[in-house]
Amino acid sequence: MKRVLTHPAREAKPTLWRSLDELSSSPDFAAKLEREFPQGASEWKGGELSRRNFLQLMGGSMALAGIGLTGCRRPEAYLVAFTQGAEWTIPGKFLYYATTMPRRNGAMPLIATTSDGRPTKLEGNPLHPMSNGATDTFAQASVLDLYDPNRAKTIKAEGVKTDAAALGAKLDEIAAAARGGAGLAFLVERVDSPTRDRLLGQLREKFPNLLWAEYEPLGTSETAAATAACFGGGINIRPDFSRADKVLAVDSDFLNASFSGLDQVRGFMARRRISEPGQAMNRLYVAETHYSSTGGLADHRLRLKPSEIAPLLRALGAQVAALTGHGDLAAVVAAFPESPLATDPQWIAECAKDLAASAGKSVIVVGDQQPAAVQALGLAINQALGAPGQTLRGMRTEAPPAATIGELAAAMQAGRVQNLFILGGNPVYNAPADLRFGELLSGVPVSVRLGFYEDETSAVCQWHVPQAHYLESWGDARSADGTIGAVQPMILPLWDGVAEVEILNRLAGNEEPIGPQLVRETFARMAGGGDLEAKWTEFLRQGFLPDTAWPEAPLAFKAGAAAALAAQYEPAGGGLDIEFMPSSTLDDGRYANNGWLQETPDFATKITWDNAALISPATAEVLGVASGDLVQLSAGDRSIEAAALIAPGQADGAVSIALGYGREKATPVAEKAGFNAYPLRTTRGMTHVSNAVLKRTGGEYKFAEAQTHQSMEGRDLVREATAERYAAEPTFARTMGMDGHIPPNISLFTHPPFTSPEQWGMTVDLSTCMGCNACVVACQAENNVPIVGKDQVSRGRNMAWIRMDRYFAGDENDPEMLSQAIMCQHCENAPCETVCPVNATVHSEDGLNLMAYNRCIGTRYCANNCPWKVRRFNFFDYNQRPLDQLYLGPFAKKGMADSLQMSKNPNVTVRMRGVMEKCTYCIQRIEEARITQTVRAGASDKLLVPFPAVKSACQQACPSESIVFGNIKDPKSRVAELKTEPRNYEMLKYLNVSPRTTYLARIKNPNMAMPGAEKVGRANGYGHHGEEAAPATEAQGT
Amino acid sequence: MADAIMQSREAAAERLKRAPLVTNNRSMSWITNHVASCTEKPAPTWWWIAFTLSSSLALVSVFCIGYLISTGVGVWGLNHPVGWAWDITNFVFWIGIGHAGTLISAILFLTRQKWRTSINRAAEAMTLFAVVCAGIFPAVHVGRIWMVWFLAPVPNSNAIWQNFRSPLLWDVFAVSTYFTVSVLFWYTGLIPDLATLRDRATNKFRKFFYGIGALGWRGGNRQWKHYEMAYLILAGLSTPLVLSVHSVVSFDFATSVIPGWHTTIFPPYFVAGAIFGGFAMVLTIMLPARAIFGLHDMITDDHVDKMCKIILLTGSIVGYAYAMEFFIAWYGGNMYEQYAFINRATGPYWWAYWTMIFCNVVAPQLFWFRFFRRHVLSVFIVCMFVNTGMWFERFVIIVTSLHRDFLPSSWNMFYPTWVDIWTFVGTFGIFFALFLLFIRWLPMICIFEVKAVLPEADPHHGHDDQAHAPVGALKEVAH
Repeated sequence: MKRVLTHPAREAKPTLWRSLDELSSSPDFAAKLEREFPQGASEWKGGELSRRNFLQLMGGSMALAGIGLTGCRRPEAYLVAFTQGAEWTIPGKFLYYATTMPRRNGAMPLIATTSDGRPTKLEGNPLHPMSNGATDTFAQASVLDLYDPNRAKTIKAEGVKTDAAALGAKLDEIAAAARGGAGLAFLVERVDSPTRDRLLGQLREKFPNLLWAEYEPLGTSETAAATAACFGGGINIRPDFSRADKVLAVDSDFLNASFSGLDQVRGFMARRRISEPGQAMNRLYVAETHYSSTGGLADHRLRLKPSEIAPLLRALGAQVAALTGHGDLAAVVAAFPESPLATDPQWIAECAKDLAASAGKSVIVVGDQQPAAVQALGLAINQALGAPGQTLRGMRTEAPPAATIGELAAAMQAGRVQNLFILGGNPVYNAPADLRFGELLSGVPVSVRLGFYEDETSAVCQWHVPQAHYLESWGDARSADGTIGAVQPMILPLWDGVAEVEILNRLAGNEEPIGPQLVRETFARMAGGGDLEAKWTEFLRQGFLPDTAWPEAPLAFKAGAAAALAAQYEPAGGGLDIEFMPSSTLDDGRYANNGWLQETPDFATKITWDNAALISPATAEVLGVASGDLVQLSAGDRSIEAAALIAPGQADGAVSIALGYGREKATPVAEKAGFNAYPLRTTRGMTHVSNAVLKRTGGEYKFAEAQTHQSMEGRDLVREATAERYAAEPTFARTMGMDGHIPPNISLFTHPPFTSPEQWGMTVDLSTCMGCNACVVACQAENNVPIVGKDQVSRGRNMAWIRMDRYFAGDENDPEMLSQAIMCQHCENAPCETVCPVNATVHSEDGLNLMAYNRCIGTRYCANNCPWKVRRFNFFDYNQRPLDQLYLGPFAKKGMADSLQMSKNPNVTVRMRGVMEKCTYCIQRIEEARITQTVRAGASDKLLVPFPAVKSACQQACPSESIVFGNIKDPKSRVAELKTEPRNYEMLKYLNVSPRTTYLARIKNPNMAMPGAEKVGRANGYGHHGEEAAPATEAQGT
Repeated sequence: MADAIMQSREAAAERLKRAPLVTNNRSMSWITNHVASCTEKPAPTWWWIAFTLSSSLALVSVFCIGYLISTGVGVWGLNHPVGWAWDITNFVFWIGIGHAGTLISAILFLTRQKWRTSINRAAEAMTLFAVVCAGIFPAVHVGRIWMVWFLAPVPNSNAIWQNFRSPLLWDVFAVSTYFTVSVLFWYTGLIPDLATLRDRATNKFRKFFYGIGALGWRGGNRQWKHYEMAYLILAGLSTPLVLSVHSVVSFDFATSVIPGWHTTIFPPYFVAGAIFGGFAMVLTIMLPARAIFGLHDMITDDHVDKMCKIILLTGSIVGYAYAMEFFIAWYGGNMYEQYAFINRATGPYWWAYWTMIFCNVVAPQLFWFRFFRRHVLSVFIVCMFVNTGMWFERFVIIVTSLHRDFLPSSWNMFYPTWVDIWTFVGTFGIFFALFLLFIRWLPMICIFEVKAVLPEADPHHGHDDQAHAPVGALKEVAH
């Protein structure tokens, strides 16, 4: 007899112990468990398999075995409270499961750390071909969304709470009424999910006339259109930077993994990271409007108005065509309409020369938002450079056709939409303004919204269905290379969350799925033959189905179609341009309700909780605008208000504004944060609008800046040089400025005894750090770092343990941008330790600067005496009091939301007010590794924690592998290796504090023929104390 | 010829003769009456008004501190680079003021400066009250005041001891020692006068309480012998404390690594500054008190003149220190140090720096002129400048050094909140309230010591050229 897995009726109070682990806790399960293990799994040790891998495999298989059983044999299942103790769980010990975060630009493979059934931290899945075990800012922060107490929690019909049964009935009613699917429409987000595609197939069979539209405000539909025209339909292209010597990024932030992918960053950095002087490295040209993280690493950066991006590409294309004699490119360039370009022709000529000289080893990337015509031109240049097949790979994909939001809007306008499902997204807020989507939506008879929050779109829809988080629902998603990833829940839905596929499944008339049934059915088709059960188990354990990447596709350039597409480019007018840029912290606004991301400073502007109208210093002077002035930005009959911020490195004549802010209907976190730029954005101007008018309205606005000073003041904090200088003078980083002539340091104090066999240390490679903030958010998640709110940030009280310092060097209008991650440097001779009167901060034998919270009385003397200013003081009870009631003292509400308590890492103390805190080098991870090693060692003396066993949270998250942590005493460890590099230097060496964190100087690779090349890599100058850069011939002075 | 010589010698002797310390040939009983009556007459209306105002102000401070403790240090304007601002500024300001009293009582006693007798009592009281105000700040500035007992070397089960390398711990010991010794010294000096008040008491409450305070003082020879030895020992103990307390306070900064703090000049510079500020505060209080109680015969213009000279001297030392800091920053060739000082003078807090320079270096230069040293209003105004300047000195040292240290990325500004301001203003309420209580209940001038400097108290009737009455002579004039 089959038994159906059922959950008890939900109680009103959240019961915190229910999770997947418990599903499989039947007594007979333990016996089956052994069988489910791969042969010899429990004996794996050493070698390739680290402790972490081992645990994640083990944890994965445990849960999966249970879940898998429910899928096929439907065993009796029990829910056991953690208080009774599930047999294989050790309280306080983490379990690791593989999962996947669905994303519009390819799913991100993840490993979720769960503690007692609660996912608390996400890491990259190192087994996955697209991942190097890293993650990005958004993935790190997404765990907070799961526990967000402001999430939509109940199904509502016309604003009245209802239940899943009523929703089911409504869906059935719609399905029954929609004969043939006329009037049935869907608006979904871009996700490459085989299960969704399968259900869509079923729906299309049942309702042949349904309208399926996809919309992403920052999507890749233009890229897809250009690729389809140039190389044929069903083809995706992806640059392979690991094979590129020369890269030109045009309005493309490809080094921000959030917008491109981890593989892109990894590929580029593999060629950027040099370990020895004289080693070859790649060269990066960037043409862009605002400072992106890619621009920050550029060897040559050209500031350009957004309306000049296309003419730049055209001019460059012409040069490349001339140099290579490529007829197709010449034809595309000729077809591409000309528009004015005011920039240095030498820049274009030399850049083209350099790219052409490395034909086959160079590549151009054009931003995804650029119109298809511009992208087609970029592809034509790539063709001329011999990129296809070399630095540009083609993949044959199969994505179901989808209409655009414009087509949907037209159908709505024509009254052809009776039943509209808006699954995810927030089109009322972020659809192109000319569509007037909100107005059209209110005219649709039945609208059902699946949304994570009750937002602007929910307000207009009749039904609101809370969306389940990807950490609490089953699903699957392809990563950018096509590999199918498993989305498996870590916990049952905290509230009444419903997954997108469940709604589609119901509409398709299928039975309500049990557990992973929907995904399993898809999987059965994808996995091919063989032992399906074993494959499924392996799928869930690994988190992905190997060998499902898209097949390589030859790229045959269709010059005629490309030229025809290029000819469609409509040159934008002149005047002031307003550029719409993705927010580095909120993406297109989807993370606006995430406090961690709101408080993460943008890597370039360093403002938190806001976006701003970025204006270059020169343009600001012309327009008479200062930072903090409220301005009205108008284009045609549309206008918005925003606050201006003077941004060095911004293109003249262009205002850039990040999307995603200025929410009208949102949670308290997102409200009052920034300015909404979407009302200016129309179908024909998705990247920018021209002929805009900027007018001061007279008001003032206060930004919460995480960093108020932009210059290094001639101090050699971030050290950089050109590859040439590094080859000629390998020790430049150690002899720069004061370090070249200070007498040897003598210590009056005896150093603490460093008796442990492990001596922890860290290096940060400034050559590859692009300031993406993944480490910052990872640290916040790992270490229970609270957010403090805009007011407190503006008072200088942010709590981040690791911060991304950003300096500008050189000309105010066209400076270099330098990013430097700063965390506790764990000085061997720590100045904070000597001054604490109560011994609350002391040194450990393994070289850690420890902080004993419950000994701390909060004199703040340690923070005052910290040269790095990395110590963070709890000025208020940030964890216990609402951020808008901090000043009410005992009259404020006390306590943390239940769900937020669940999100905390149980191995890290949540700090109270009045104590100091700071980076611990993730001591909880060190101790965990040490305990594991001690257990493993048994009676033997192999107590030394082996090399890859412990990673700090920042290191693990870093997409460019810039942060390396480990045992500096272990010569095999990566960190010990890096510390011997000549680029390795200590900051503030003269203080003799002997920091354990050191930096690897940034190396730039300028093309000396380029205009302005002599200024590249000279952020420090060559003289003493970073005085005016001396001519290169006098460079050897220090 | 010989006559002429004799005459000119006599004239010279006349000119060189010291001005009497008590003018108008006041008698011993006049002094006793005059000083004691201040505590015996009903409190005048102005006293009630002043006391009401100052104690109300004190309550404001108490309220602010209550708010601070219940809510968090965030109610002040502190932030991440600036972990200390007004709190420690106020602490050092008040503790500096607390230096004059003991200096006058102990060092001037040991160096036989007899003019000290008419001002030492009030100056010492002022010292105590200033130290009370000072002590508030380090206590309440911590994040978790309920855990400050960690500072006490109490044996505990965790076997965690204090960090004896921390100057903050030295501070705790230095300030508490200073306060204890100052109280003892002050109280010891009060005993004979308390006995006088007891003996003059007209009701039994006064008799009882002053009697308790007088510890059974009878004025016998043996008591005087013991008393003087005790007073001498306490003066000897206090003297190094005057120098050590502010040196230790300066170590809070000098032993750190922060540019602008990390400097060996601090101990002498801080001590000089403390004496400078302390004397200015003594004058700030004594000049009005003298006018109100008509004490011109005991606190004469000569006293004011001498104190002005000390202010001029210590002010010049302080000015020299300011200059030397700049010189060393340049001479040391350390760019971080150089920036710290350039930033002081030209950075966003330039106004604080130049206020300090004007108040502490420029304003006291008036005291080169005898006219200004004896012109009460000028003295009072200059002293007010010095009080202000000394507060700004600490503010400049603390805030300008912290707000821009090594990494420009963490540079930030400090802005005080209303809580910062009112906590500080309120401590003046505490200070004046305590001082008003003092002048109401205790003899503000040391009666028996002033009597000892009268000519008639001199057993040698002016024939003793050394003009130093031995300490033992005091006992003859105690009643």
